[in-house]
Amino acid sequence: MQRFLSILVLACAPAIAAAAEGLPLADPPAGDVLLVAQPHHDDHTTDHGLGGLVTRFIDEGYKAYFVRGSNDEKDGAHGYPRNDILNLKEAQDAVRILGMEDEVTSLNWRNNFETSYPLNELREQLVFLVRKYKPDAVAGHNAWEHFQKNPGHRNLAWMYEEAYWLAGYRNVYPEQFELGLAPHETYHYFGKARLDWGLGHRPNVAVEISEENVRTKEKAIHAHQNVYSNPAGARAIKARLAEDGLYLPELEDVEDDNAAGNTLLEWHMNWISRFQGEAAGVRYAEEFFYMDEFYHLPGLKKFLSENVKEK
Amino acid sequence: MTLRVRIIVLLALAPLAASAQVGETNNTVLVISSDASNWVLHAGGTVAQMIDEGMDAYVIRIGNDEKDSWDLPPEETALKTKQESEEAARILGVKRVISLGFRSSEFRDVPFVTMRDRIAFYIRLYKPKVLFIPNPYTHQERNHDRYYGGRAAEDAWRAAAFENFFPAMKGAGPAPHITPEVYYFASPVDPARREPEASATFAPQPKMIDISGVIEKKVKAAQALSTINRSMAMRIAERLQSTGRRIRSIDEMNAAAIDRLVEERVRGLGALGAEGTSYAAAEEFRYAGVEFRIPSAYR
Repeated sequence: MQRFLSILVLACAPAIAAAAEGLPLADPPAGDVLLVAQPHHDDHTTDHGLGGLVTRFIDEGYKAYFVRGSNDEKDGAHGYPRNDILNLKEAQDAVRILGMEDEVTSLNWRNNFETSYPLNELREQLVFLVRKYKPDAVAGHNAWEHFQKNPGHRNLAWMYEEAYWLAGYRNVYPEQFELGLAPHETYHYFGKARLDWGLGHRPNVAVEISEENVRTKEKAIHAHQNVYSNPAGARAIKARLAEDGLYLPELEDVEDDNAAGNTLLEWHMNWISRFQGEAAGVRYAEEFFYMDEFYHLPGLKKFLSENVKEK
Repeated sequence: MTLRVRIIVLLALAPLAASAQVGETNNTVLVISSDASNWVLHAGGTVAQMIDEGMDAYVIRIGNDEKDSWDLPPEETALKTKQESEEAARILGVKRVISLGFRSSEFRDVPFVTMRDRIAFYIRLYKPKVLFIPNPYTHQERNHDRYYGGRAAEDAWRAAAFENFFPAMKGAGPAPHITPEVYYFASPVDPARREPEASATFAPQPKMIDISGVIEKKVKAAQALSTINRSMAMRIAERLQSTGRRIRSIDEMNAAAIDRLVEERVRGLGALGAEGTSYAAAEEFRYAGVEFRIPSAYR
């Protein structure tokens, strides 16, 4: 019902309501398809994440697809080819847990060689995928984040920020139309930052997420055990606390250090969602730099907001 | 300031001053723009005003705009937009538009130095007093030609001033030139665009210029970019149509309706630029003038 009212009253503009304090809250815009494109297997959920946004969109009727830009060969302790295979398999598990469509498009660009990619070729692939999936909204990293040491995040976002609108232009990669595709411009971009360092990323909205969304996000990150299995970390924390005569009651009866590590990871994910939620005046949220449908026409925004009417 | 610090500052500035023929500056404005519309929309009023005050103006258009049309092939789009950009410039009083012809939306693949040196050549040729360049530090500008073009233009400003650039032209080509004033322009999409990053000695400062007196001229110049305007208008119309919405006053997207949209856009930008000022319409820049790189004690 809420979704119906949203469509009826606000058509395709997402509802942005002022929260008690902090960032305004944005609802998913009316639409059917969300296309998430990020360089790595776990980017949908790691750090400040956008797993909550993905699950919220799915709750509201969206189909969501995940594009992995790199082959993730460096992430993990098993050597290049095995890391690649394990991380792809775990990405597929994670997107299933998040409720995304059961297919991961893996572009397989070599992990951590991002700076030397022919970037326009990466952009061409993303334009193709936008035309193929016809998303109503896209999500990924915010290309303008400062001090982003991992060029994979910056470069894929940098290309996606062009691809999502250039895909609507007939003179851009016209050979793709031979395959039956048509121009498709997307009008909503949700960009996340990896962390909250620097000034480049200035989030302008928060997307409220539910307790269930947060739980799903926590489960999804567990799928990435090749990277996040951290029994030694859990053991070290317990040992360090014990030196001061302290302990964590929640981990006291957990014999399996791997399970204890996963619990710590859950707490981290939960803290982020609570932290950003509190800043926006709700229980849980994720923050984004959001480029709305007429974002690129700042001079026309007022005119359009005053004159666009339902038919 | 201690004597030691003064000496260090002077030594830092000395190569620039010594290598260029300071003083050979024409009463000229040189505008560098990545595409046909960016400078008209975000700097056209200020340029027109400088022309009205007696300056000569020239425009270097880096890209060929081949992608920005609704239903024309790239070649035709490029040709029409070239002609229309010349008409827009003529309306504002610009003497000449030089189109460098780089493929739009493909700047990333152009060697940086290739683009920089072509721009720097014209800086030496025209010896401008004022440069307008795209601001490459504008965050959240999703048209990356404006970033790459801005970077090349900014370095061209510097390269044009040094003796050891363009060695093949030595003795035959235009002499090095220091441009004393630079205006960085951009679409107002950066949330931090009004925040000074440092004092004027170290960073170009936010500056708003009143363009109320030339806004009608700017509207007409922007309307002359018919191919780009139709591309924008048809995309808006398609978006509204596909989402069950309309703008009653411009139901049919004909030439008059497109002109109306463009006028609203120019006036809307003028209002945004004037926010926080007493002006009715303004353009906003980052401005590097005499304060930039020269401490107050030496100005």
